[in-house]
Amino acid sequence: MLAYLVRRLAWGVVTVQGVLLFLFVLFFLLATPDDIARKAVGEKAPQAVLDQWKQNHGYDKPRVWNPAAPADTMLFDHFRRMLSFDFGNSDADDTPIAERLRAGVGPSLAFTLPLFVLEIVFGVGLALFVAFFRDTAIDRTATVLAVLAMSVSTLLYIIGAQYVLGKLLRWFPISGFDPDPSVIARFLALPVIVGLLSGIGSDLRFYRTVFVEESGKDYVRTARAKGCGEGRIMGRHVLRNSLIPILTQVVVQIPFLFTGSLLLESFFGIPGLGSVTVDAINANDFSTLRTMVYIGSLLFVAGQIATDVSYTLADPRVRLG
Amino acid sequence: MRGRLWAVACAALFALGACTNDPYPDADASLAIFYSTFEEPPKTLDPQVAYSVNDHAVIGNVYDTLLQYHYLKRPYVLIPGLLEEIPAARALPGGRVAYTLRLREDLLFHEDPCFELSAPGARTRPVRAADVAFAFERIGDPAVGSPVLETLVKISGMRAFGDALAKRREADASFAAQRIDRQYAEVGGIAGVRVLSERELELVLDEPYPQIRFWLAMPFTTPVAWEAVARYDGREGRDLFAEHPVGTGPFRLTRYEKRARIVMEREPLWYGARHPGPPGTVYPREGEPQDAARGYLDAARVGRPLPFLDRVELRREKEDISAFTKFLQGYYDISGIPKESFDHFVHEGGLSPEMAKSGMRLAKAVGPDVYYLGFNMDDPVVGTPAKERGRKLRQAMSLVIDVAEFSRLFMNGRGIPAQSPLPPGIFGYDPDYRNPFRQVDKPRAERLLHEAGYPGGVDPATGRALRLHFDTPATDTRSLLTFQFWVNAWRSIGLDVEIAATSYNQFQDKVRRGAFQIFQFGWVADYPDPENFLFLLWSGMARSKNGGPNTANFQNARYDALFEKMKARDDDPERMRLIREMRSILEEDCPWIELFHSEGYALYHVWVDAPKPAGMAFAVDKYRMLDPAERARLRVAWNRPIRWPAYAFAAAAGLALIPGIRTWLRERA
Repeated sequence: MLAYLVRRLAWGVVTVQGVLLFLFVLFFLLATPDDIARKAVGEKAPQAVLDQWKQNHGYDKPRVWNPAAPADTMLFDHFRRMLSFDFGNSDADDTPIAERLRAGVGPSLAFTLPLFVLEIVFGVGLALFVAFFRDTAIDRTATVLAVLAMSVSTLLYIIGAQYVLGKLLRWFPISGFDPDPSVIARFLALPVIVGLLSGIGSDLRFYRTVFVEESGKDYVRTARAKGCGEGRIMGRHVLRNSLIPILTQVVVQIPFLFTGSLLLESFFGIPGLGSVTVDAINANDFSTLRTMVYIGSLLFVAGQIATDVSYTLADPRVRLG
Repeated sequence: MRGRLWAVACAALFALGACTNDPYPDADASLAIFYSTFEEPPKTLDPQVAYSVNDHAVIGNVYDTLLQYHYLKRPYVLIPGLLEEIPAARALPGGRVAYTLRLREDLLFHEDPCFELSAPGARTRPVRAADVAFAFERIGDPAVGSPVLETLVKISGMRAFGDALAKRREADASFAAQRIDRQYAEVGGIAGVRVLSERELELVLDEPYPQIRFWLAMPFTTPVAWEAVARYDGREGRDLFAEHPVGTGPFRLTRYEKRARIVMEREPLWYGARHPGPPGTVYPREGEPQDAARGYLDAARVGRPLPFLDRVELRREKEDISAFTKFLQGYYDISGIPKESFDHFVHEGGLSPEMAKSGMRLAKAVGPDVYYLGFNMDDPVVGTPAKERGRKLRQAMSLVIDVAEFSRLFMNGRGIPAQSPLPPGIFGYDPDYRNPFRQVDKPRAERLLHEAGYPGGVDPATGRALRLHFDTPATDTRSLLTFQFWVNAWRSIGLDVEIAATSYNQFQDKVRRGAFQIFQFGWVADYPDPENFLFLLWSGMARSKNGGPNTANFQNARYDALFEKMKARDDDPERMRLIREMRSILEEDCPWIELFHSEGYALYHVWVDAPKPAGMAFAVDKYRMLDPAERARLRVAWNRPIRWPAYAFAAAAGLALIPGIRTWLRERA
């Protein structure tokens, strides 16, 4: 298992390096530092201010090759900063990017954690319920509803929920965020409901397929033959033996709980890391954007490895190697 | 198990009962809090750097300026701010001029731990003339990157100060590591900024520049405590000065989550709170003649100490619709009007009767700006080298641009058609003036085109429609659609204009090389003076020669001479005469096709006193007044939750689960 992990980690490192190189080409070779600088200093700022800004941010250096000082290039700076987790300052407002990450994690988790837990509870619970009634009207209705739910765009859920639950019924604030414990729940309710609605269709379909497949296996027939109740079979035997595909779906999402959701955070005004990414895109804030993409790639690699490891914990028969 | 199910069901019903769309804590309902929104977070709160409206929405409240604008008088009138009086120019030998700035007595900075740097345990200290000098030095410091440095190099020794500083820093690392005020002191400060006493400072300019007074009414020149800049350096977990203002204004920044929420609270140390009476510390007693009738001079406000609000709270709203819905629910006090809802709220330029019935009010303000189409006057076809032919071509192209129709199609009818570069509210603006080439007249345009040697728009050299280029750095669909409107207008007289949309850098490169013909730009005034508009066509600011904002590269010796005279004068009849002559030169030469001056529409709820519309972006929050009790009452009335659908949904979900529950219970039995 150790050898497997080392191998996966090594591939992970290669993947991340590739992402970094791609980011550099995209942000600093295809775009020019002048674009970034002009956006930051504003249209009215004279050329001297723009030049000073480029100098302050290290964008005045040769981009790839500097024969006089090979380490004094934007490419070298880019790799050095990212690999040493010294993300530097935002191109848009000079604030330390690490500070923005710290400030954004809390709001992101405040919304993604409950959503993550509820998605599992509702997804697995409803799928068990539907699989329990497989090939009945309940199963068919649920499947049709799930396909319908999957077919609707998240944007429509957002606008619909804001209109119906926020504007017409006045249950929740239509958007916003306040970490104050006395009011935080009312802000999170709507995005969590929307997240749940937009994800429940695919979760239900996936888990139902897993449970139905599992419930047709020999050991389930044996349990039934021995007189074991259907509820007990589903809740205890089928659920436990379906853990591997469930883990595949679930564990890989855990690292991304930290990075939040681009769409939901943006529409509901949650100042999390998803919102930071969208702001960075809108402001041509390449230094923040590359950090977010880099962290995303690290989390992706970590999620993949964690999923593999979780298999061995869920099923002792699984051997990595 | 059944007990647990009941507990969950009861908890859910309880949570539903507590549902509310109120985004604010209950305790805030009785406070005079002004709620508004922002879309993009401020870039910086460093007063010497901040230049955007978003920045100034905070800075304008937190920092007082040396001078300020009278809240009610129009055209805009300067009144003292931190200074005791408006400084007068004093002529010096060699064409230089001097101003003596005298600070009010007993001005204090807001409380902040940074003042421990100057005295252990100190939380504040008086504002001194040295703090004003420090602000000017920061403008001159190249490392600060102040966008107004190029304008204020007219201050004697400003450029030399920056150069000396940069040179010392480059040569000596230990100098660069010193405290910032010591660095400035060691290079000798700015020669033209002399501290005369604790409260007096002399400002010397190399040339007459009456507009300097307007710069004193902007946050760029507001005094700054060196302690704040030295302490808030962003190192070892400390804030950045650009995020941690230590000001002198009527509000202090108490919460700065700039991507979500900005909160400013009434500042007890503010000069006006401790010494109400001088201009800018109490609500004005006089304004324009019509102000009494408009309710701006009602007894409830006049002469009362400012500010009226306990707090200003700005919440970030990225989506127009969310912000507007919350405004309609009463959770914001002011709102713009989303394009989609415009016709529902505005009828024939006023508020629709339905909305007026709710007590809502509509306020309009014309921006101190001008949007225009420009010709590159260096171009051999549309510019000066084409002489009479080029001039007639430009005039013809101007005569087919129908701004009223453009405004109707793209701006919901908002915007005042521009006849000259000067917008309303600026000295020199003449509401009765009609530029003969800015009236739509297609037959005349065709005649002029014929006289220019392009009959029917055909270039005799090629036998085809004259081909011109419209260059732009905007590539989004909406912008391209608006450009197409101009192109179609020119096509109607036979001209073939191609839109060349490129990246910003490519566009800048074209402008630098002079490889462009027609462009569209806008200009928002820094200060309410005609000089700030008419300099856009002064040859000293020509883009091709000096890299200035005269992108049309318009050069006219007579215009330049008139400009030089006009800019050095106060507002008087002679200045008006000069402006009229300049205007007629522009009318005839037509380097611009003036389009419009923007017009902002804002909606206010019944409980807010709408402030006097101000095109210039200056802080008006201290003059705002609202009735929190009325707001709380209406919010409750407008936002009672409708709960029955939740109960219906819960019942339906329960029914759907019944088969499963029955099976489960049967198996357990």
